[in-house]
Amino acid sequence: MNHAFTPSAYYRPGSLGEAVALLSKFGGKARLIAGGTDLLVKKPAAIESLIDVAGLNLSYLRKEEKTIHIGAATTVDLLETSPLLTGWPYQALTEAAKSMATPTIRNMATIGGNICNGSPAADLSLALISLDASVTLVGPKGERTLPLKDFHLGVDRTARREDELLAEVRIPWSSGTGGASFLKLRRHQTAVDIAVVNVATRLDCVNGRCVDVRIALGSVAEKQILAENAQNVLVDRILTPELVQEAAEAAAEEARPISDVRASANYRKRMVTVLVRRSLETSARRCRECRN
Amino acid sequence: MPELTIRICVNGAWHELTVKPYERLVDALRERLGLTGTKVGCGEGECGACTVKVDGKAVLSCLTLAVQADGKRITTIEGLRQGTELHPIQKAFVDGGAAQCGFCTPGMIVAADAMLQHNPDPSEEEVRVALSNNLCRCTGYEKPVKAVLKAARILRGENDE
Repeated sequence: MNHAFTPSAYYRPGSLGEAVALLSKFGGKARLIAGGTDLLVKKPAAIESLIDVAGLNLSYLRKEEKTIHIGAATTVDLLETSPLLTGWPYQALTEAAKSMATPTIRNMATIGGNICNGSPAADLSLALISLDASVTLVGPKGERTLPLKDFHLGVDRTARREDELLAEVRIPWSSGTGGASFLKLRRHQTAVDIAVVNVATRLDCVNGRCVDVRIALGSVAEKQILAENAQNVLVDRILTPELVQEAAEAAAEEARPISDVRASANYRKRMVTVLVRRSLETSARRCRECRN
Repeated sequence: MPELTIRICVNGAWHELTVKPYERLVDALRERLGLTGTKVGCGEGECGACTVKVDGKAVLSCLTLAVQADGKRITTIEGLRQGTELHPIQKAFVDGGAAQCGFCTPGMIVAADAMLQHNPDPSEEEVRVALSNNLCRCTGYEKPVKAVLKAARILRGENDE
């Protein structure tokens, strides 16, 4: 059985319009390539054309008005060191970037690739969901923007149409009063393995009362989810250790993990409780009113 | 099968190559340019034996297409030697017995070199992180980590005795 990865054509369009025209022309027989760290491992068969995003000027991080704009082809190593992401809550994205794969992979892998790969274990997506990020897709009919939490439909499935290209990630700029945290449990905590469970939380408090919270869970459902029941446990309540524990347990109830080579479903659920509790505690300490 | 013409600068010399769209950079380096110091281990980005520098950054040449390297500057293990002298990292590996079968060694040394260029004074932990994409199946990481730390001291001009 030979499922050879032998595309016969390679294109490097110089504009988004050109790229979209190629996607429209070739449909499912073409694949976009950026860092290559997912595509060249999966090596999908029956791909006839590769469309390289390297010529599209999509490597950038900038702040405009009340939004951080990140080009889809920005490599993960640049997220680790960007001065735009040094404050809370945005630093959760830096934490996710630093925990992802290895430094060598991070020199290659891109933020857009991590999102479009559609893995429920993706680290960057999870931190971005907790930051209310959205993604901008460019297609033949123009561009559309949708919340990242609605972009993933299931394992390897996203809302991106075959003729669309994910061009940009946008993070709303907040007042900077909230804290955030990204945590990941790996088997043996080795660098190369993906998450058994990963969690990103963001929390803002006024006078000890939770006014805003996101609890994003990864690797525990067919896509990444916001644990809304758990969030509701916290909203408008005074944060206490007991309340945080209650929210963490509610999050575990919302998780729908599977058993696989990395862990059992039951273990994953229990680890959701532990990671959510720890992540919320850390996010709370990082809120402006708790910072030293 | 259509082929593409690319220009890449490898260890300081520009080469024009005709490659297939799906040809990996590591294959172009090894088979077209005869630079067999770069190894193919797993071919899936796990082991790091194929690590080279592209525009100064350590990358995996088994997960890079040759066409993606068009116009770029590549350094392989063969490019680290300074004239007839081994690079200080290579010398530290030799002196410290940091290679056993040697298959992972070129990738480790290139990854270490890329790290030292932006972090000349790394902690032991930082060296371990920098080498975390380089698997050794012979003997472990103790001696390679020590060798990189020693090379860093030498490159900083410190007396290493």
